[in-house]
Amino acid sequence: MNEQSAPVGTVASHVGGHIHPPPDSFVKKYIFSLDHKVIAVQYFITGGLFFILAGLLAELMRAQLMGPNNHVLSVETYNEAYSVHGSAMVWLVIIPLLTGGFGNLVMPLQIGARDVAFPWLNMLSFWLFPPAGILLFASFLFGAPQAGWTEYPPISLQMPFGTSLWCLAIFLIGVSATITGLNFLVTIVKMRAPGMTYTRMPLFVWATGTTALLSMIATANLSAALAGLFIERTFGVPFYNVARGGAPVLWQHVFWFYSHPAVYIMILPAFGIVSEIIPTFVRRPIFGYKMIAYSSAAIGLLSFMVWAHHMFTSGLAHWEQLLFMALTMAIAIPTGIKIFSWVATLWGGKIRLDTPLLFVLGFLSTFTFGGITGIMLASVPADIHEHGTYFVVAHLHYVLFGGSVFGIFAGLYYWWPKMTGRLLDERLGKIHFWLMFTAFNATFLPMHWIGLLGMPRRVATYDPVYAGTNEFVSISAFVLGFSFLIFLYNALRSARHGEIAGPNPWGARTLEWMIPSPAPYYNFKDIPIVLSGPYEYGAPLPYANIRQDLATVPVH
Amino acid sequence: MAKALHVPSDAEYADVSSQRLLGFLFFLISDCVIFGDFIFSYLYLRDVAPVWPPPGIERPYLYLAAVNSMVLFGSGATMHYAMEGIRRDRRRQFVAFILATIVLGSLFLAGQAYEYTHLHDTWAGSTFGASFFTLTGLHGFHVLIGVIYLITVFIQTLRGTYTQQRHFGLTAATLYWHFVDVIWVALFFLFYIY
Ligand SMILES: [Cu+2]
Repeated sequence: MNEQSAPVGTVASHVGGHIHPPPDSFVKKYIFSLDHKVIAVQYFITGGLFFILAGLLAELMRAQLMGPNNHVLSVETYNEAYSVHGSAMVWLVIIPLLTGGFGNLVMPLQIGARDVAFPWLNMLSFWLFPPAGILLFASFLFGAPQAGWTEYPPISLQMPFGTSLWCLAIFLIGVSATITGLNFLVTIVKMRAPGMTYTRMPLFVWATGTTALLSMIATANLSAALAGLFIERTFGVPFYNVARGGAPVLWQHVFWFYSHPAVYIMILPAFGIVSEIIPTFVRRPIFGYKMIAYSSAAIGLLSFMVWAHHMFTSGLAHWEQLLFMALTMAIAIPTGIKIFSWVATLWGGKIRLDTPLLFVLGFLSTFTFGGITGIMLASVPADIHEHGTYFVVAHLHYVLFGGSVFGIFAGLYYWWPKMTGRLLDERLGKIHFWLMFTAFNATFLPMHWIGLLGMPRRVATYDPVYAGTNEFVSISAFVLGFSFLIFLYNALRSARHGEIAGPNPWGARTLEWMIPSPAPYYNFKDIPIVLSGPYEYGAPLPYANIRQDLATVPVH
Repeated sequence: MAKALHVPSDAEYADVSSQRLLGFLFFLISDCVIFGDFIFSYLYLRDVAPVWPPPGIERPYLYLAAVNSMVLFGSGATMHYAMEGIRRDRRRQFVAFILATIVLGSLFLAGQAYEYTHLHDTWAGSTFGASFFTLTGLHGFHVLIGVIYLITVFIQTLRGTYTQQRHFGLTAATLYWHFVDVIWVALFFLFYIY
């Protein structure tokens, strides 16, 4: 490899500097692969399958809720459906797709590395994921959990064996996420290309790094909490059972001490995706690079100090309620900074409305809306009224669906060509977006009002006064489910008929676009040298040591 | 597929070992969080209990634990001298002190086993037993893994894997051993004194 003139100060370029030939057996290449790009695809496929399963559970629930006293599902099955739906969407879909999928696919390329720091651990992380998913869905055979994705005691202590499987499944996911976090963090600290200082890192890398830190710390705590629940269920060791001196609220504390940071594990990478797509499709430098980067870190820090806002009706002391209300509102500030920076980048730019940017605009509107209802829920008096109603269901879907899932699709449309070498069809992409965006809002917007009127969540039947709205919501949810079939068709179609993308179809400036699509086995023939930040549209490309024939920015 | 054996240069070794050490440090941080979760649970359960310790529970015997703690802290010191031995290339010092560390670590485990078999409380018996046995058991498991790890790096060093300049595995083992010591300080205070 090329040893010339690597500036001192960042990362030595000889880490992983020896180019081995790619493995030649099918198993080593596609199953037990050590290559971060292959592992990313494994995450996308596995997470995609779980997305379909968890989505079908949601459609079953909406079928049950078409009428106030339907009998599509039994009451118990309905409880199982929403518990597994929530658990699967959080732990088997959003977190693995954003961190395992996009983090693996994009982050090492963007920092100019040949792979992550510990490829073997990366493979291990992935292979903990499918067994976890199988355990979670297998719980239906043994009486699936019925206490929602939060599994509060005492119900979670009283349910049959399926809840123990739930504990094991999420424990495996927790270990996997902790290992991935550790691995990514070492990669970002130690393996950046020469010249790539922290403030020259692409914003997706900032987001992934913060997420990795949160995964490492918060998820370890989740694993411990789950171990406690499992031990209590299996051996009767009292932690959470109030009859034996335990405390159910203790579970709420340790669960939310993980699960609020987990909200940011689920949204920060989407913020990163948005921060990459906007400058590319507006053709101008991102507004307030440092503000966006540092606000990620601020969100990461603050996210550990707000968990009890989920417990305003659990009998906290007054001062605790007020403290957590204030801290929660404070976390809206760094998030608001990001939204202002994105809007300022879009403002007056030459906007190219390709599908990735459409999804980003969808993200901006729905996520901001979800953020605002979040502020409403953060204020104690409002929360006491809204807690446990459909208002919360609406809020969390605007954040996790309108935020994370829209972010995932934006990223998929954006990096699909880098992953596969082919473009997705633009017309189908636009149809997908408009159908999904409309159906999403039609599904979840009305839930705000029925929630404010007092319709409780997690119940299989309801007062007939909510019947009309629920029928409308259910029909919208079926359309929403259908919209993903368009994406599936588009993805399968592109394998054969997709336009060949070339190295840089969008004219972006981060490092992953400076190499062929799909990226070759060792990513960079020579480790690139980074001369300045990645978003300086109009200036020459800030890289040395890259293949100039690939590093041209095409003009559409 | 036969691969040519690649002997890393000093700079490569330094890079790889700094990566691995950082990864190991991160592992210890997340491990610390796991202990932290159960310590928080213990303090919380203690706080909400009307009387503490719960009725009918006898607190574990302080003096045995104090002696056992001295054994463990002593092993921290011997580990330090073992590392000094490798850094200054004094083989004999290294061998003597790492063996002492292994023996002291095993003694600690024996002491803990003695304590476990002589306590009347059980794991599932009360919230005290739940926290006590979960935390000290988890810690004892860490000591056990540590002893196995020390024996492994000791054998590796005898075989020439680690030298005065290249001893990543020994550094990691030392870090781990001190980490286990520090956790014990917290547990000793929480269960035997506080
Ligand atoms: Cu929260």
